[in-house]
Amino acid sequence: MRDLLLRLRRSEDAARPPHAWLGALGGAALLILAVIFIVGGYELGFGSTRRLGTGAFPVITGFALAVLSLAVIAGDLADKTDLEKPDWISFAAIGGALVVFALTVGRIGLVPGVFLTTITASLPDPALKFPGKVLLGAIVALGCWGLFIEVINLPFKPFMGL
Amino acid sequence: MDIITGFSQGLMVAMQPENLLYCFVGVFLGTFIGVLPGIGSMAAISMLLPLTFYLDPTAAIVMIAGVYYGAEYGGSIASILMNIPGTPSSSITCIDGYPMAREGRAGIALFTSAIASFGGGIIGMVVMAVLAPALATLALNFGPTEYFAVILLGLVAASAVSNGSPVKGVAMVAAGLMLGTVGVDITTGAERFTMGIPEMRDGVHLVIVAMGLFGVGELITSIRANATGAHQNDIDYKKFYPTRAEWKSMFGPIWRGAGIGSFFGALPGTGQTVASAVAYAVEKKVSPNRANFGKGAVEGVAVPESANNSATQTAFIPTLTLGVPGSASMALVIGALMMYGIVPGPRLLVDHADLFWGLVASFLIGNILLLILNIPMIGLWVRLLRIPYKYMYPTIIVLICMGVYSLNNNVFDIWLTLAFGWAGYLMKLFRFEPAPFLIGFVLGPMMEEQLRRAMLLSRGDPTTFLTRPISGTLIVITVLLLAWSIRSALKARRQGRAMPMLSDE
Repeated sequence: MRDLLLRLRRSEDAARPPHAWLGALGGAALLILAVIFIVGGYELGFGSTRRLGTGAFPVITGFALAVLSLAVIAGDLADKTDLEKPDWISFAAIGGALVVFALTVGRIGLVPGVFLTTITASLPDPALKFPGKVLLGAIVALGCWGLFIEVINLPFKPFMGL
Repeated sequence: MDIITGFSQGLMVAMQPENLLYCFVGVFLGTFIGVLPGIGSMAAISMLLPLTFYLDPTAAIVMIAGVYYGAEYGGSIASILMNIPGTPSSSITCIDGYPMAREGRAGIALFTSAIASFGGGIIGMVVMAVLAPALATLALNFGPTEYFAVILLGLVAASAVSNGSPVKGVAMVAAGLMLGTVGVDITTGAERFTMGIPEMRDGVHLVIVAMGLFGVGELITSIRANATGAHQNDIDYKKFYPTRAEWKSMFGPIWRGAGIGSFFGALPGTGQTVASAVAYAVEKKVSPNRANFGKGAVEGVAVPESANNSATQTAFIPTLTLGVPGSASMALVIGALMMYGIVPGPRLLVDHADLFWGLVASFLIGNILLLILNIPMIGLWVRLLRIPYKYMYPTIIVLICMGVYSLNNNVFDIWLTLAFGWAGYLMKLFRFEPAPFLIGFVLGPMMEEQLRRAMLLSRGDPTTFLTRPISGTLIVITVLLLAWSIRSALKARRQGRAMPMLSDE
């Protein structure tokens, strides 16, 4: 696992940084969002200029965003520079940690949920070996139990379904 | 209420044991976060927001403010010792702070930074105590038309004068405004863009947006940057006390830095980074020691630190008196106040005078606490810099999860945080600033409400925004600001250089 991560990290480091024109994809996403709000806003009703309806503000901001996103697309397509190198390993691991937390905390309880979340989050750093990740997970899980359940008295169950 | 009476009353509020405790917690956590490169005060404030629900509003705001200005103190430590700015505004401190450290004068640089931060903070506090009531009195005459224009100006200023493309900044504001409309419309009761999901009826929670964009998004960015392990330094920081000549040389820059910082802090959209950059540039022109700037000049550390701390205090002026945040951190302050049902604006100084003056007085106490934390306890923060990041970031992600989950005990909030976290990272990757998005999100509902009222009062005449003198002037300033920022961006692009980094959290 550690070797795989190191290989992935090395190949990510060696890869060419993405072109800035890819930022136009962000502009396109904003344009889609704008269209959704314009259409949704019209369906909700614009009202009159005196009494603005529920959909008026989303339509107005939607039109503003549509124009701006076209300008963003045009600007980014003309950009010849490179973006920063992305860190997809950390992107996936941190996202994975949140997924693990969401899937476990209500099913197996806070302590095992936090334990697994910590291990998942620590995956992208090969400097911390697996026993170290497990130890860190145990310390953080026990710390959360002590702090959130015993001290702050939040209504979380430390263990469930075990 | 006059300033002296107000401040005395505020001191009594701030000296209450609960407020003192939370002031200490805030400045301690702020320094802690500021020292760590990569994790900004925004992430810290976002993580603390769920905790503040259990506190009295004054204690909550005192603590959030403590994190905000504590991070400015802490940010200079990493700048001086490692040449890595803990916060964006401390990047200017690196220019002279790090060379001082390399010359074996790290202790003196840290001492200068603490004293200048204290001086700037206190001057900023005095400016806030004097100006905020005056501005609030003026704003009492504002109607919905003027409020709409002020909010529009604040939004454009916060997005146009930011890091990178102003067009992208304004687009992010518009996207934030749209997200603010999700949920039940408070005027008509109709559901908007909830996709039939019951959890979306109350809209998206501010904590989720802030934690996702700034907590998760920043954390992903920081992992690779901090992957080298513990930050080691072999710098001698034990020789602390400046010579008599160094004391004399820092006095003028502290005053000038505080003056410039107070001005820029009060302007929406500029903030601490612009304040410290401008103050440094001015000092470089006027200082008799200008030849040594960039080589380890005491003045080069004193002036940006004084400027960014005074700006941190005066940033509260438009936030509290007009309800217009100049930065994303101030947007969170507004969000926190609104969660307590307190509407920021000119009435805040009348209806919640204890909160306002308690906050002002807490600045004095917080700055004294920071002086104690930053001079005798500097060794603690230096040791903190040696903790490997591989132990810290998994713990931080767990704290983010816990903070979000504790809002409603609902995993749906975690899924939303994941979506905003990934979106925040992609925004940064594709050079979209998340801060204007958050400001738009916070101000969106207010802006919509003022627009509706203004249109109702003007009987549907949209020219009311231009024909009323105050709102007309503000709209013209907004258009000019937008035009200026677009022109500057085009000019910078033609010259083949990036826009200067101006954004603050």
